[in-house]
Amino acid sequence: MIKNYLKVALKVLGRRKFFTFISLFGISITLLVLLLATALLDHVFAAETPEVHADRMLGVYRLMMKGPENTMISQPGYGFLDRYVRPMAKLPSIERIALVTEAQTVVSYLNGRKIQSAMRHADGELWRVLAFDFVEGGPFTTADDENGRRVAVINETTRERFFAGQPAVGKTIEADGQRFQVVGVVRDVPLLRYSSSADLWVPISTAKSSGYKQEWLGHFYALILARRSADLPQIKAEFQAILRGAEKQLPDPKTFKTLTAGADTLFEGAARIFLPGEPVPNPGGQMRAALLVLMLAFMLLPTINLVNINLSRILDRASEIGVRRAFGASSRTLVGQFLIENLVLTLIGAAIGLALAAGVLQAFNASGLIEHAHLQLNFRIFLYGLAIAIFFGIFSGVYPAWRMSKLHPVQALRGRSV
Amino acid sequence: MTRHLFKLVWNRKRSNALMILEICVSFLVVFVVATLGLFFFDNYRHPLGFEWKQVWNVRVDADQSGGGPGGGTPEQAAIFARLLKEVRAVDNVEADAGASVIPFDLGGMSGSWTIDGKDVQMDFAEVTPGFADVMGLKRVAGRWFQEADAALAWDPIVIDQDLARAVYGAADPVGKPFGTPGPKERQRRVVGVVSDFRKSGELMPNGNFLFQLNSLSRPEARPLRNLLVRVRPGTSPELEEALVKRMQAVAPDWSFEVRPLTQVRATSSLFFLTPLIVAGTLAFFLLLMVGLGLIGVLWQNLLQRTREIGLRRAAGASRKAVHSQVLLEQMVVTSLGVLLGTLLVIQIPVLDLIGVLSNRVFASGLLVAMVTMYLISILCTLYPSTLAARVQPAEALRYE
Repeated sequence: MIKNYLKVALKVLGRRKFFTFISLFGISITLLVLLLATALLDHVFAAETPEVHADRMLGVYRLMMKGPENTMISQPGYGFLDRYVRPMAKLPSIERIALVTEAQTVVSYLNGRKIQSAMRHADGELWRVLAFDFVEGGPFTTADDENGRRVAVINETTRERFFAGQPAVGKTIEADGQRFQVVGVVRDVPLLRYSSSADLWVPISTAKSSGYKQEWLGHFYALILARRSADLPQIKAEFQAILRGAEKQLPDPKTFKTLTAGADTLFEGAARIFLPGEPVPNPGGQMRAALLVLMLAFMLLPTINLVNINLSRILDRASEIGVRRAFGASSRTLVGQFLIENLVLTLIGAAIGLALAAGVLQAFNASGLIEHAHLQLNFRIFLYGLAIAIFFGIFSGVYPAWRMSKLHPVQALRGRSV
Repeated sequence: MTRHLFKLVWNRKRSNALMILEICVSFLVVFVVATLGLFFFDNYRHPLGFEWKQVWNVRVDADQSGGGPGGGTPEQAAIFARLLKEVRAVDNVEADAGASVIPFDLGGMSGSWTIDGKDVQMDFAEVTPGFADVMGLKRVAGRWFQEADAALAWDPIVIDQDLARAVYGAADPVGKPFGTPGPKERQRRVVGVVSDFRKSGELMPNGNFLFQLNSLSRPEARPLRNLLVRVRPGTSPELEEALVKRMQAVAPDWSFEVRPLTQVRATSSLFFLTPLIVAGTLAFFLLLMVGLGLIGVLWQNLLQRTREIGLRRAAGASRKAVHSQVLLEQMVVTSLGVLLGTLLVIQIPVLDLIGVLSNRVFASGLLVAMVTMYLISILCTLYPSTLAARVQPAEALRYE
């Protein structure tokens, strides 16, 4: 039966070429845009190098101190993380914890050339929480950090800029008025990977002054690697309990009364940074809802358009429907048939959209608009795209199918309008 | 005639309702993109109130964890003062100044103060006396800050014209107190007025601005985050390295990053314009999709009405008459969609949903959206209505 429907569907598409063209144009453009958005989200949040353990990783990315009159929101400071988060590594469910700063621009001058690099200060654990691809040398260690050794890990782009792509391990690099010895070179990490992207990593203890050691608010992240992803909820709860304890020891108890933060997955962390206003208890859920609303809002116009075209197509086939009705086809059969036809149309459109997306992404990567970005289609995105296409096909097919099934046989046979 | 048209549209209300909905939603899409674009364009036409082409900013990163709420200590303020002196002595540097906030930067300080019972919203910055020379501010009344102001028993401030108008109306603000001081605060007094200062750049609307003096020598002084330098035209970028070396020698523990304001401006423009470019591209494709869809639907509708049109032709109606009937019917449908969209959009000023939108920008956005929808509608009707007008009466009357 389905085979028959498919045959009819393809025949119908071939019959009115102009209608097929405008439907496919709308569908493929809509799916192209949605696929591009999906590829971008996948690029930022998927469990890929260096965040291969993203499914069992949490981060503390934001901290809010609030009092009756003052509110301060920023990245947590080293003082807070060292005192309250680092000791959590003793919990049996946690494998290790790394502290790292957000990326800051530092400037180097090399033979009259100005080089700007994104630099992070990190401890030795970072290299074991995140799995960078080393192309040369290796990471610096916890001992390096404790002894304040001026060593650095750089990425390939930095190697290109400073050493013209020649092997760099053992050579020194000057940045922000300090000299570092290069111990390792890693592959570039896309700029949008907000917890791992940088050009240059150096030990925390090489910071120019030691003021960071006392800070509650500063520019550090804590990255927590759990042993199993099933432990994440328990670790989150544990973190909240520790936060309640820390609240009692706030440095300025008159100005600030409460502390708000979360141990977040990559997605929740980004949601916490992007959502305006004060932090909400469940940033991940809110972000997901916001993305869904955005998607539906974007799909509104293409859907109305497709419904409109579909209705016109049905009028075209009124007599066919009339015959089928007269010979006893139930409304449900007709609805099913039309939905399948519409799905076939949507899936063809989706395939065109996928091909277009591959081209657009290639052009985007080549443009260098986002540093080190390498957006590409993969199986995950394909599955998302398929889900979106099926949803779109049903969403835009239900109303015309219902209208079609309501067509009166006698009227339809006479070829009258709906 | 008009009544007749409405009747024709009403007779096909179901298929027309969908078309009206489609036009209404497209109208909203065009309105949003057009208003955003016009908002930037309207802002762009007004003067900035400063000159940025020859100015470099040095971001100064002292360890500001100690000290008061702003961070930093009086000792660091003294180091900052030494940096200013050091930089001023370099060849090709025309002026330099410290500032808590720099032009075009996305960050900033803003707040709302109650003055004489009025709530006034403003942005503000702490600057050193050199700021007016570095940024080329235009003085309108009174004077700018001087080094000697550090000895005053009250806090001197300079405000921009907007703020002067908001607080003092037509009266001369110079010498007047600015609000009532809170506990532990000193009285603020206006010493001068400068022309409108638009810190956020050309694309953002003009707002109230207030300058406070940071003299760096008072006991409560804190270091500033930015050191602005005006260089002589034609200065080569190599001066950057020399500047950083000199500053590094004065404060080896601090970090310095030089960024010409041209670069800061480019970053901020990209930040504001990217959403417009993305939304504009999406809207273009959506409208193309809608346009093609309308052609298809109209074509099909007219095919359905071949008999009706044939009858009119047989009764003596000219091709032109058929043409204009189709076109006018579509105009009625479009008008209904546009009307519905307008009714929705009008809610924005009525409910005061977006404060920054001026009436002129809002009205122009509406107009652009209307014109666009009528144009698309006419364009999409032309081909189907030509086909309809070509119908031969004999053929049409036979048609089943």
